[in-house]
This record gives sequence, C-alpha cells and structure tokens, in this order.
Amino acid sequence: MTVQEMIAEPPMLEIVDLRKRYSETVALDGISFEVRRHEVVGLIGENGAGKSTLLKSLIGLVQPDSGEIRLHGSKVKLRSISQAGAAGIGMVFQEQSLIPNITVAENILLGSEGSGVRGGFYRWKELARRAQVQLDKIGCDIDPRAITETLSFADRQLVEIAKVLAIEERSNGEPVVLLDEPTSVLDADEIELLFAQIERLRKHASVVFVSHRLDEVLRISDRVYVLRNGQTVGEYDPATTDATELHRMMIGRDAQGSHYHEDRQLPVAEAPVRLRVTGATLKGVCQAVSFEVRKGEVLGLAGVQGSGREELCRALFGAMALTSGEIAVDDKVVNFSSPRPAIREGFGFVPAERRTEGMVATMSVAENITLPHIASVSRGPFLDRRAEATVVKHWVEALRVKTPTTSAPLASLSGGNQQKAVLARWMVSGDLRVLILDHPTRGLDVGAKSEVYRLIRDLSDQGIATVLMADSLEETIAMSHRIIVMKDGEVAAEMACDPGAKPSPVDVLEAMI
Amino acid sequence: MTTVHPPGMKPTEAITTIDLRRTTGIRAQVLRFMPIGVLALLIISVSVANPNFLRPNSLLTALDSSTPLLVLAVGAMLVILCGSIDLSVAALASMCSVLVALWVPALGGWAIPAAALAGAIAGCVQGLVHVIAQIPSFIVTLGGLAVWSGIGLIVSGASTIGVTGSELEWAFMRLGPARIPSAALIALAVVGVFALVLWATPLKRWYEAIGNAEPAAAIAGVPVSALKIGAFTASGLCAGLAGGLLVARTYSGAPNLADSLLLPVVAAIVVGGTAITGGYGGVGRTLIGVLIITVLRVGLSVAGVNPSYEQIVYGSLVILAVSLTIDRSKFAFVK
Amino acid sequence: MTTVRPGEAPPAGRGDSERPVRPNRLAAWRRSDRISVFGPPVALVLLIVGFSILNPQFRTMGNFRSILDTAAVLAVVAVGLTFVLMLGAIDLSVEGIMAASALSFALLIANNRNEIDLGFFAVVLAVGIGAVFGGANGFLSTRLRIPSFMTTLGVSAIGIGVATVLFGGVQPTIRSAGVTAWATGDIVGLTPLTFVALGVILLGVGLERYTRFGRYARVVGGAEDLALLSGIPVRRYKTLVFAFAGAIYGLAGVMVTIKLGSGIVAVGSGLNFAAITAAVIGGTLLSGGRGGVLHSIVGVLIVSVLANGLVLIGVDSNFQTAVQGFVVVAAVAITNWPLRRRLRVVK
Repeated sequence: MTVQEMIAEPPMLEIVDLRKRYSETVALDGISFEVRRHEVVGLIGENGAGKSTLLKSLIGLVQPDSGEIRLHGSKVKLRSISQAGAAGIGMVFQEQSLIPNITVAENILLGSEGSGVRGGFYRWKELARRAQVQLDKIGCDIDPRAITETLSFADRQLVEIAKVLAIEERSNGEPVVLLDEPTSVLDADEIELLFAQIERLRKHASVVFVSHRLDEVLRISDRVYVLRNGQTVGEYDPATTDATELHRMMIGRDAQGSHYHEDRQLPVAEAPVRLRVTGATLKGVCQAVSFEVRKGEVLGLAGVQGSGREELCRALFGAMALTSGEIAVDDKVVNFSSPRPAIREGFGFVPAERRTEGMVATMSVAENITLPHIASVSRGPFLDRRAEATVVKHWVEALRVKTPTTSAPLASLSGGNQQKAVLARWMVSGDLRVLILDHPTRGLDVGAKSEVYRLIRDLSDQGIATVLMADSLEETIAMSHRIIVMKDGEVAAEMACDPGAKPSPVDVLEAMI
Repeated sequence: MTTVHPPGMKPTEAITTIDLRRTTGIRAQVLRFMPIGVLALLIISVSVANPNFLRPNSLLTALDSSTPLLVLAVGAMLVILCGSIDLSVAALASMCSVLVALWVPALGGWAIPAAALAGAIAGCVQGLVHVIAQIPSFIVTLGGLAVWSGIGLIVSGASTIGVTGSELEWAFMRLGPARIPSAALIALAVVGVFALVLWATPLKRWYEAIGNAEPAAAIAGVPVSALKIGAFTASGLCAGLAGGLLVARTYSGAPNLADSLLLPVVAAIVVGGTAITGGYGGVGRTLIGVLIITVLRVGLSVAGVNPSYEQIVYGSLVILAVSLTIDRSKFAFVK
Repeated sequence: MTTVRPGEAPPAGRGDSERPVRPNRLAAWRRSDRISVFGPPVALVLLIVGFSILNPQFRTMGNFRSILDTAAVLAVVAVGLTFVLMLGAIDLSVEGIMAASALSFALLIANNRNEIDLGFFAVVLAVGIGAVFGGANGFLSTRLRIPSFMTTLGVSAIGIGVATVLFGGVQPTIRSAGVTAWATGDIVGLTPLTFVALGVILLGVGLERYTRFGRYARVVGGAEDLALLSGIPVRRYKTLVFAFAGAIYGLAGVMVTIKLGSGIVAVGSGLNFAAITAAVIGGTLLSGGRGGVLHSIVGVLIVSVLANGLVLIGVDSNFQTAVQGFVVVAAVAITNWPLRRRLRVVK
C-alpha cells in the first residue's frame, strides 16, 4: 500500500465528540480521536479523566449520550461486548477475564466457537485447531487443551490477547484491540514480553494502549492523546514530547491554593507523634512498612494499584489482618481484630467505595451518622432517641449537610452531602484521633470537593492525624504535610510537602512507578 | 440496579444507583401496606363466606392454632433480617418436641424451657459454624436440618412419645371468662419481648444494616459476627419453644412433628413483607404474615378446598411474595 | 526508604522489589482441586476395605449387587443435581418433582384407580412433567431473580401438593407385571433399573463433556459475570439445566414407583439431601464450576456403601441423616477454609 493510499484509507476507529453524563458528574465531555491501521495509540489521563468510561463505551458496556463511534468509516452502535466483538473491537482486561475452569481453546473462542461446535456438540480437535490459529498469531506455545487456571499469570495474559485476536474471524477484517492498563501488575521481565507481543499484535490489529505510565506509553505508541476531565486535550508525537509536558497537560491548570485551602496548612514538625506504624507486613501485599503521623498532620499516601497502600490502610483500621508489625496510637500499642476496637480507640475510616462500604444506603441520615458511636447516643443498652436527634442536628448543621430531614435515606442525598454525612459519623464521639481517608473526593463536584478539603483542614486544626489517599496527585500534594510513596508493597520515597515548597507531580509520579 | 463492570475496572461512583424505590415512592408505600390490606381483605372474605368466623371463640381458636407458627416465624425472621436463612427451624422444633416429651417425667412443666434452651444451643452452634467457617447459611442450616432430624429420630427410636398428665397444661389451656388461649399469651409475650428489645436498643438498626449493606455495617463498627450468632441462637430458642407448644397441644412429641411447618414459616415471613434478601422487615410484619397464613388456612377450609391443595398454595405464595419483596439490586447474579 | 527533596531526581528503575500483587482469583483453588480429584475415590476404597474387614457379610457379591441396586435411584438424582450444582445454584425440589411425576406415572400406567394404560408413553409423560417443573424452577429464578434455594423450595411444595391431590386418598397401585419386572428382573445379577441408571450416568457424562449444554453450565458456574460479558445467553442455559434436572428427577420418580409397585407422595423422601451429600463428598462443589457427573457418582457410591456397611455392623439407621448432615457441612467447611478472610461477606 502506498503512503497516499494509507492516508486516504479511513481510520480503523474514529471517536467523534463522545459525551456521557451521569446524574451528578460528567464522565465524557466531548472526546474525539482516531486510530489508524496497524497503529498503536496511547491514551493517558488521571483517574476521573474518563478513561474507563471511554473504554466501556468502546466495548459496549456503556451507551454514550451523544457522539459517534465509527469503525472502518461506518458508524456503529455497540450495546454489548459481543456486538462490539462482531463489529471488530475487543479489549484485554486489566484483571483476567478468562473463565478459570475451562480449557484455553474454549476461552479463546467463548461465545463464538464457529465450526468448533456443531449442533451443540463439541468437536474438540477442531476447537483446538481454531484456537491454535489465534495463538500462532502471537507465536506462543501454550497448549490449547490446557485448563486455563493451571497456566501462569503471564501465559494467561497471552491467552487474553489471543482471545481478543479471535475477533478477526468474527468481524470483517482486523480488530481494534484495547489494552487497559496492561502493565500495572506485571514485573519488569513480563513488561518486556508484553511489549514484544504488542509489536506482534500491531501486524494484525490496531491498538489503543491506555495507561497512566507515561514512560511506557511514550515508548510503545505512535501517537499519544491526553484526556482530562472527560475531554481530549492534546495529541502528541512521542518523538517530540516528554513525560513532564504530558503530565502538565494531564492535570491542567496549576493547583489552586484556595481550592485546597492551602493557607490553612500549619506546620506540625514539633507536634507529638500520634500514629506510629512499625514494620507493617501483609503477606503478599506489603513488606515492613513504617511511618509516623503527628498530631494535626495530613500524611499523603501515594502509589499505583498494586502498591499495597489501600490494603495497608484497611489493616490499620482492623478491616484486614496484619501478618506482623506494630501500630501505636499516642504511644500505646494497639492490635485490632476488627474495626470495632479500632473505632473505640478513636480511629475513623472513609472507604473509597462509598455506596457499598461507606454508607448503609437505605438507612436514614441520622442512623448512618450515629452508627459507629451508638454508645454516645445511648443510655446503657437503650437508644436515647432524643439525644440522637440533638447530636445529629448539631453535626448536620456544623458540616452543612443538605438534607430535607434527618430521617431521609442517605442515598437520596447528593454525593457531596453523603460524603459529609459519612465524615460526620466519625466526629460524633468527640474523641477522634486518627482518620484514614480512601479517595474521599471521588465522584464529587468541585464545590463538594472544596468543602471536604475544608473539613480535613478543620480536623487537622483539632489535632487529628490523617492518612490520605487521594484520587489525583494534585490533591495529594496540595493537602498533605508529607507524602509517602509506596511501590510494590514497600515505602519507596518520603517527601516533605510544606506550603510554598511543594514537590512537583512528576517527581512523585516517578517514585510511584 | 447494579451493573456489570469488566474485570479490573472499579465501578465509578456515578454509574450504579441505589434502588430507592424500596423506601420511598409509591411502590414502597404499596409494599408497606399491602400485607395489612391483604389481611383485611382475607378476614372480610372469610367472614362473608362464614359469618361465624367473627365470633370471639372462633377468632381465638384461630389465633391459638397459629401460635407455634408465630413463635417459629419470629425467631426465623431475625435470621432473615440479616440476609441469611435458617432452613432448620422446623426440624429443630421437631427434635425439641421429642426432648420435651422425654423430659416431662423428670422436669415437669420445666421441660419446655429446657427444650427452648436446647434449641438455643443448637442454633448457636449453627451460627458459630456459619460465622467461623464462613459457610453460607443455607448450607449450614440444611446440614443442621439433617442433624437435628437424625437426633430426633435416634432419641425417640423413630416413634411418637406420648405425654400423660397435666404438667404441660399451662401451655394449652383457656384462661378466664373470655377463654383466652394461654399459648396465645405466651406467643404474644415472646413477640412483645422481641419487638421491644429490637426497638429500644440499637439491635434493629444493626440487623437492618447487616442485611442492607454488610460491608458498610462492618466498617461502621457493627458487631456483625456476634449479631449473626445471636440471630441463629434466637431462632433456635424459638424453635425449641415452638416444639414445646406443639407437644402441649398434641400430647406427644414426634421426630417429624413440626417438619411440615418450614414452608408456612417462610411463607408467613415473606408474605408479611420481610424481604428475603434482608435489611427490611420486623416483628410486626411477621405477626401480620402469620395472621394472613392462618386466616388463609381457615378460608381455604371454609371454601371447601381440599386440604391437599395447601402445599400448592404455600409454594405459590412464597414464590409470589418473594418476587415482590426481593431487593434485586443486591444481586448482580442470582444463583 | 529514601527522602527526596523537590527537584531532585528520584532513583531510577524499579529495582529488586517485592513481586507485585496479582489479581488472581484462582490461587486458592489449586490445593482443594487436588483433594477433590483424588480424595473421594481413595475414601471409597478405604470404606470398602474397612467394612469388608469389619463384617464378612459385606464383601459378598450379593451384597455388592444389592448396594448397586439400591444406589441406582440416588445415582440418577445425583446426575440431574450435578448439572444444577455446576451452575452454582442449588436444587431443593427433588422430592416435590419426584412426587408429582411418580403419581402421574402411577395413574397413567395400568393401575387400580383408572382404566388408563399408556405403557412407555406414561414414562415419557412423567419425565415431561418433571421437565416442566424443572423449567419452572429455571424460569422463576432467572426471570424473577429469586435465589434458587427459594424457588426450588416453593416449586417442591407445589409438586408435593400436586402429588397429594393426585393421590386423592387412594393409593394407586401398578397392575402391570411387565412394568414391575423392571425392578425385579435379573440381568447379570442386577435389576434392569440399575442399567437404566447406568444409561443415565453415561448420558450425563456425554452431555457434560461433549455438548455446549454441559460446557456452558460449567462456564456459568465458573464465572457467571464473565460468561455474561462474553455474550453467553446465561439465562437460557440456566433454565435448560433446571429443566433437564427436573426431567431426570421425574425419571427417578418413575423408577421408585416401579420398585414400590405403587405411587406415594413420599417417594423421594430423603433423596434430596442424600444427593447433595453425595455430590459434595464426590467433589462437585456447591459453589459451582467444579466436579462433575463422575465425581458425584463416586460420592453416591460412598454414601451407599456407608449406609449399607453401617447397617451391617449394627449401627442405627437413623444415624444416616445426621451423619450426612454433618458430612456435608464438614466437606464444605474444609474446601472453603483457605478462602476465609476478615470482613468477608457470607450470607
């Protein structure tokens, strides 16, 4: 094919002004890009930039409100994964999407066995042959008759790729392959293998490589798009850009101090140590993690998926079991077998999954707020409903939780108000000492986020030690007194984060990966 | 409704919505009042077909006949409120009926409380296995069903054990000029205690939290394990008591005496408006459910319907009621 | 732990850090897989040897044949139940479906209550009735999204009710000697019904290994969410599995009716639980996607040998149910033990 022919050919995949809005948040706000034949296009963006909604739209799990998806020049409407497959788009999932208890061949051809199954009967030889065709495309020697779960992780990753390539037989021509953060759980050798696979993949397909690892994206892609706040904000040629520039595009405007109430960050270097973690180990997750948090300090905990930070925080709260290590609060060693004793010692925890773990959705605002410290509103074993009403009213007003009545179900409030109510519950007893926040502003609009930041500053003023895991590096840097970066289960770096001398996001990012 | 998301992609906050129709809106109001409405409708229909039904004596007799069911249902309801199920209540009641019959010569009237204690211990064991081994409750109680049945069979030698004498009369007699059944008083006392304790303490909201959102409840410091064990213990206690009440009125204990009560118990709980998925329900609802089942039974016989059809009615009722009250947002996939 | 000041270049590369965490939902299964494949047959052999030593009456050919004849019905039920368990669901409707089809069969074959005698067609109809009940199970749990234990419990009651109505107070007795000969005949020392059971087992194995019906049942049990994502019509296959199981239970009902010579409502009494026990002991896990027909049949043999042997050494037969209950819970507890976690939600 001549260069002119190649240019004249319509792109394999074209996204035009895709939009998707959920009740409170805008996930996609006009995304446009294109992928040409045998191209590897990189897609980068922070959490919340719209990457996962975009991928779900491309694979048929989510229907965009408006905009077009065009494959080979013609518009398509994708309502399910199999429809997307028939149209020619397949995805290699971040976590394995293979059925563990069946053979490799069955997994590769699942749902589209073709001649491998005649009249409901399995023709195993034919099935194995057809699967072998896909495996040959990536040149690996996996036995199609092996039971999937007996394979190593890396081999299963290869089967996933073969499975996606099988789309070629179903659709007219070469597939578009979406790779969703494929390297986040691989080690160095496996990443090299994967890159070799992507090079081979490129001969049979067009690839969209979604990742937040800028160096990898730059290495493998022909072109890179940057996503921010649901929009494509830039298209780059890897040869003419670098990680710093990309990162600046990813986070947009410089962090606004007022949004994060940075002026309220007070120095805490002289304050006594409130929380001391020594040698915390969780088998298979993290190793010998140690750090300290002082009274009134906000410690930012940064790390990518697989760094072990989320699990560590759950273990601090008693929601997961520590294999070994010591936790001390105000110099008293504690050992939590469940969240209950942790709560008694003045711990609080706001989980990332607000809907399933942060709140009891159908219970009222009042009941949710008093749940952890029910003793504060009880006389002995009996509930004191009058005391409860007073306490709840106080906190609802203090935190400006907007709700028609306190007996409305918590799920009926807006996301921001839900989160404020969830925060309020830890303050009810008045003896909160350590607060662990897991992505506290996820899904909140700008105004709600700012209020939550204000609350965190208030708590800081009261001497509460906070461990913060934020969605974005920007948030982590702006809110924290110090940042600890975790990587592969260990503390990789510790950075001071004083107002006026904040580290740059790229520095933190490099330590994370 | 929960949505499916690809492996590795966490659901973002906005994508999934809560099924609020359970607690607000027209559907919720309908669900809340439907059981009472159905009960009223049934009472009216039966009275129209047979005006004698409304006479005090027949009402009291109907109430009296429903007492074992009521006691069983109240205990089992607590387990269902947490989102679990206790399939062994009927078999446990049967086993305890055998124990009562065997213990009357030695313990007199105290045989019933003793059997209730035995039931509580059995229930506690089931709760412990469920919580410690983390096995689904229906498996534990299915196995429990077989174990209690077997124990009942062995201890009784697979035969009915008669009870003579009047030690158990207090559980099956009529009191005062109004001829109020003592069993009804006992049952209502049990129901009253349950209701009071659930309301006055944090227990009701704790159980509802566990049934509605167990992960959130655990993180909020609700003592989930202890409460679950407690629910199973209460269920066992009620089963034991129900077994005793049955012995009082049949003058015998038998290893399969209460076996046929499992389905009516589940039907009563579900028809009364308690969701099988947990998190929504209560003592009052269960009482109404039991009354519905009782009036229905009277109604069927008044209408001259062959008692053989009873099973068909219960089966259909259970399926219908569960499908109406189930909270589908709980399951992405129903097994 | 290094301290990095803003502006300084952090250490490059990933270094020799701990292996990253793998999202691997499979690791916990491997150990229990080995137990489930080799454990049951070994247990069976041990039981046979043990009882042979304890009681010489046990190891006669006559006794072995008797064990197989008795196990035939349980084996048939277990085949049907295995497919339901493979899905990850549970079936509590065995007794109800068996009752309904048993009574239907008894009234459609030459009997003392009416003049109908449909011969072989009566078997077909009875099996068909079982399939209808099973289909109802599948339909209700997939369309109305009711958990299978609840639907099958309800359907079972309906089945018992239908059987009770059909029974009508007068027990229907089979009047055809040709029919009852199936239970009394002698082919190599075993009754013809035992060979029917063998046929059902072979059918089950064939379906499980070579048909989409069987393979997809395994897929749905292995990872239903992923099956849906792959575009498999999960609801259709679930309904088919329940219908198939219902048909099998119907056949079992016919078999017991022939053995007893009459139709009774309690025809399936105890079989539901015995079949669940057999399947679990054999390695067909209640969680789905594991085990299979042959696994369950080994379990059936274990349960049958246990029942026979215990009686021969003088143990009260009432122990049977209690022991079965205990064994099921223990078996599930053992296979489940490595999966325990703090704050894990189990309902």
